[in-house]
Amino acid sequence: MKLLTKTNIYSSITTILLFTAGIFIIYEIILSKLDKEADRRLLVIKTKIINGLNEGISPNEFMSNIGQKIYVRKIKQQTLFTNQFIEYTGREFEDDVVSDNEENRRLTQRELLFQTTVNGQAYEVTVCMSLTESKKIGKYIAGVVLVFLVLSFFILFFLNRYISDFLWSPFNDTLSKIKTWSIKKQDKLVFKDTDTEEFHLLNDTLRDLTNQIQSDYQNLKEFTENVSHEAQTPLSIISTKLELLLQDNNYNEKQYKQLQQIYHATQRMHKLNEGLILLTRIENKQFVETEEININQAINEKIEILEDFIEAKQITIHKEFKKQVIKELNQNLLSILLNNLFINAIKYNYDEGGRITVTVDEDFISVENTSPSEKIDRQFIFDRFNKNSISGSLGLGLSLIKRITDFFNWHISYSYKDHTHKFKIYL
Amino acid sequence: MRILIIEDEKSLREDVVDYLSENGYKCDFATTVKSATQKLSDLVYSCALVDIGLPDGSGMEVVEYIKKNSPEMGVIMITAKNALEDKLEGLKIGADDYLTKPFHLSELNARLYSVLRRRNFGGKNTLSFDGLEIDTTEKKVIANGTQLQLTKKEYEILVFLASSPTHLITKEALADSIWGDKAEMASSFDFVYSQIKNLKKKLNEAGITNYIKVVYGMGYKFKD
Repeated sequence: MKLLTKTNIYSSITTILLFTAGIFIIYEIILSKLDKEADRRLLVIKTKIINGLNEGISPNEFMSNIGQKIYVRKIKQQTLFTNQFIEYTGREFEDDVVSDNEENRRLTQRELLFQTTVNGQAYEVTVCMSLTESKKIGKYIAGVVLVFLVLSFFILFFLNRYISDFLWSPFNDTLSKIKTWSIKKQDKLVFKDTDTEEFHLLNDTLRDLTNQIQSDYQNLKEFTENVSHEAQTPLSIISTKLELLLQDNNYNEKQYKQLQQIYHATQRMHKLNEGLILLTRIENKQFVETEEININQAINEKIEILEDFIEAKQITIHKEFKKQVIKELNQNLLSILLNNLFINAIKYNYDEGGRITVTVDEDFISVENTSPSEKIDRQFIFDRFNKNSISGSLGLGLSLIKRITDFFNWHISYSYKDHTHKFKIYL
Repeated sequence: MRILIIEDEKSLREDVVDYLSENGYKCDFATTVKSATQKLSDLVYSCALVDIGLPDGSGMEVVEYIKKNSPEMGVIMITAKNALEDKLEGLKIGADDYLTKPFHLSELNARLYSVLRRRNFGGKNTLSFDGLEIDTTEKKVIANGTQLQLTKKEYEILVFLASSPTHLITKEALADSIWGDKAEMASSFDFVYSQIKNLKKKLNEAGITNYIKVVYGMGYKFKD
């Protein structure tokens, strides 16, 4: 999930919760204010009633106004000395104007109950005031606030997204550049300018880091190259000296055996060195010349050249050429690639009566070979020096194949089924 | 036959000189471009082995000098770098052959033999042994008076072994020379055995039994 989406989700949830709580609280505050206002008005009426009673107005003459009723009745003795405010919700409030229109409308009224004694006569007075209108106002205000909050929520949501997109764009740019960056390419990373300090720092760090990596890689490559080249001469000397030594017949069996072993080890060292030099040369892109090559023909020629090896192991070759494929390639590299593919297929095959199937189609070449050996670990298959334990090979063959297919922008895959190894190259 | 070896690596030079001397060549050596051109102007050589990397310049200069002043002379280039460009350039300016370091001495000997034969030095176009004659111009092998029917590979192996008749030729040297790069990745030398087996069979059938000895674990010798 994208960071932006995540932030949006969390901030949305928080906003929704806050807004809901906010509206509830606002609504409650409005209601309590309205109640207080009603109480104040009730008390004003109370004062008026007491004044009226004092002036001798009869209890029945107190007029009820719209949304407001007054009941005054005489009682024997005053027992209640404080004001009692009662909130009442129901339909029984008999106010023509308010109640008759909509029967099911729940009505809310606030009553003030008090007792007073005027000129020795105790009265109990109930003043009722309809709150329906004020509740309506309260709801209306809350509704307006709600609409405003919802609107601002959406505005903020989209604004946030837009601003984040805008703010994070240098980061995304950096990310896409690192993604396409390759250690093997020599080009330096150039990032979009940004005045965001963190991104600026990130870009600077990345630039330093990649430059460092590139230069280290370059050094390492040069080192390998130099070592391989410099090793050639001493290796030549060892090898020729050994060849001369071997010409003598004056050794005992033990000495001769040791010489043999040294000689074989030196030969392996040569091959290893040659392989490494070849890998470096491919990496250095020293095979640039290309020409149009018929791949089917190249495969045929390769099989012909390898005839001796194939015959020595009595391997049957099946060719399935579905299409003639012609590509613009470097011939040397193709030759090395095919060579390694087939040598592997021959080398790891059964010592007698194995089988190799070569298939060429419009978009792929595949080489299948039977083999007594088990499946190769897919993860390390194309790594250098991942040596197959059954052979004395150098572990460079598959790595070379991989390098060359990479160089050609081809893709290679490996599969294994019932003692058959299959390498498929997608062109 | 006089050969000039132009190589600055003392140890390697000595080995080449030793090996070629044993094969009947007179060897001179030079270590720099300057001393090489000096030697070349003083004496007549049949062939020169030229290392490309010399302390005071490129072996290419020497090759150019030879081709200008004595075009009939054979030239074999030796390159330390396995660089194709070097090889192509060398062959373009007139080198007859090239070898990449490290090389087998027997391979050098065979290449030298082939260059000299091509350039007709000493008119030595046949390798003659007791009962066996190899005509390298016609590519014919006569054993006890009858011509052998050999495959291309069998013939190449026979010539390679016969060009250094008393030396041990290792399997590796033989494989590298006859099969070239292709042998590079092969772990076993079965294909060498089977070719040698066929070759020996054909020689035996013609009554030749005393050539091509197996040196256990190492390779072959044409004769003791």
